[in-house]
Amino acid sequence: MLDILSVLDFTFFLLAGMGALVGIIFGSIPGMTATMAVAVCLPLTYALGLHHGLALLLGLYVGGISGGMVPAVLLNIPGTPSSITTTFDGYPMAQKGEGERALRVSVVASVVGGLISAAILFLFAPLLAEFSIKFSYVEKFLIILLALTVIASMSRNMLVGIFSGVLGIWLSLIGTYSITDGGNGKTRLMVDFLEPYLFEGFSLLPVLIGIFGIATILLEAEEGVKSGLAGQKIKMGTGSGFSFSIFRGRLTNLVRSSFIGTFVGMLPGVGGSAASVLAYTQEKNLSRDSSEMGKGAPQGLIASESANNALTGGALIPLLSLGIPGDSTTAVLIGAFTLQGIQVGPLFIPENTDTWYIMMTALVFANIVMFFLMFYAIKHIAKVVLVPKYILYPIIVMMCVVGAYAINYGIMFDVWTLLIFGVLGYLIQKVGLEVAPLIIGFILGSQAEVYFVKSLESFGNYSIFFTKSPIAVVLWLMIAASVAFSIYMGIQSRRKQRQEASA
Amino acid sequence: MESGLTSLLDVSINFETSHLFFPRIIHWVIAVLFVIILVVHTIPFLLAVKRGEKTLPILGETMDKFRFFGSLALIAVYFHMMSVIGNMFPYTGYGFLFVSIVFVFLMSLMYMHTRTRRKVITAAINAVVAPSLAWFVLAKLFQITLP
Repeated sequence: MLDILSVLDFTFFLLAGMGALVGIIFGSIPGMTATMAVAVCLPLTYALGLHHGLALLLGLYVGGISGGMVPAVLLNIPGTPSSITTTFDGYPMAQKGEGERALRVSVVASVVGGLISAAILFLFAPLLAEFSIKFSYVEKFLIILLALTVIASMSRNMLVGIFSGVLGIWLSLIGTYSITDGGNGKTRLMVDFLEPYLFEGFSLLPVLIGIFGIATILLEAEEGVKSGLAGQKIKMGTGSGFSFSIFRGRLTNLVRSSFIGTFVGMLPGVGGSAASVLAYTQEKNLSRDSSEMGKGAPQGLIASESANNALTGGALIPLLSLGIPGDSTTAVLIGAFTLQGIQVGPLFIPENTDTWYIMMTALVFANIVMFFLMFYAIKHIAKVVLVPKYILYPIIVMMCVVGAYAINYGIMFDVWTLLIFGVLGYLIQKVGLEVAPLIIGFILGSQAEVYFVKSLESFGNYSIFFTKSPIAVVLWLMIAASVAFSIYMGIQSRRKQRQEASA
Repeated sequence: MESGLTSLLDVSINFETSHLFFPRIIHWVIAVLFVIILVVHTIPFLLAVKRGEKTLPILGETMDKFRFFGSLALIAVYFHMMSVIGNMFPYTGYGFLFVSIVFVFLMSLMYMHTRTRRKVITAAINAVVAPSLAWFVLAKLFQITLP
């Protein structure tokens, strides 16, 4: 216990707070996400050591997710994809001159969502880890298969989602079949002249930074880097108007949305928009009076923002207990862990109890800092949405370069990886493939290979994947359920479209 | 006795070629999925394009060609020059610093829609300050390797 307290020094809290602030700024700028904030600030953690680095990254994560509400309310543009439902009620309120009130409601909802999900994470992740510790390679492979199926079934189109995921796996196989994992150390999927560069395959972080950083810039450049925002006036309203009585009778909504957010966050690879959309529609269906929703009702903000922030704790659950990232930001976090020499998985919490408690402290503290910063300084923070992009984007590219170059102590090929995956990420999004499954496939692909091949080597029969244990059967049932769910949803939406077409 | 079905699923992996086992399966999965997507989605989509109902991605869309290809080219030159200059001053990070200043300034100019004197000066100050700050904090304070 003493060890933990000695780590929690002033720098630790300063970094978590700074992280939250920078995260909020990133989140506030439309087009920049929490993932980008974490990716761009990664190089700072190289020199920080594990615990301080985690404080910074978790602060960025919480701040980045929260910051999305600012442009959502003030400009009707979701700052992060997950604040899409915040625009429904936030912008009408801002138009009525209640911008500050809307933001404060959102901030309170955010901190409640963040803290509830942190509590669930704290209680649930160790249990899940303890359960999964007994998993053999067979179950581990099936968990990865389940993760990919769930992501794919939440994609716009399941087939395309699965295809993207498999492409990600393919990319991860480039290079050697690592001897340390029990492979034979031979390279595959390789052309000779690239072998010196790609012997160990593409490095994870340059790939992620390329896809989330450079590709975003390219997509914006294609649109001509619109500077339209600078001319807009932001309507903050006359202040006041906010009191905690807004939350009277909204407690069920708050708690329900937080749980929805946490649960959706747990599903691997499912982005934030699913959580807030689900919470918003639930509030619409279940609340006694939803007639004002969409016209500027605080209850919509409460549902959207508490679910949105509850994602943070939820997404960390599979990451810390199974080693499977819950969303794209936690995918970058996995890279940060690897960098510090820590393998996330079932053994993480039992073997690194100190780190686990320190992470929880950072997460809770980041939420609290986020609350105070945004509740009291929101007026000033809101101005960031007007920082011109021609200043910001070059800096982003520059920070991406630092992150990629320094990751393996100065390899220029990692910088070129940025460009390769920046262009690839651009093309992927253009032809309609899905980024999230691709990334998760890329991260989990090489492990999936080891688990799959090793299982077959020791049992010598494909049927082992069905007959190994009751857990394996349960996992198959869950895989089948997620496929069935996706097909059901597909039929539903098609029926709806047809009804609308005929009506 | 094993039943016929289980023995059908028997598999033995030669360690020497085990690095090709999983990739081969993945190739098959990719191929099958690709064909299905081609038939279910791509062909109907292309027919819709032919009828003029939809447009092709990238090719059929209007894009800011100057800024898009300009960004690509600028980033590529940036990466290349960084290692060239960096090799002249090894282990100092000067390659990163000097090339970044030029890059940040040029990219700012490219993304500006109207170039007023004030904007250009802001961009110039930013181009000097931001890379210097990054270089100082990372290379000097934190001793992180930079090109």
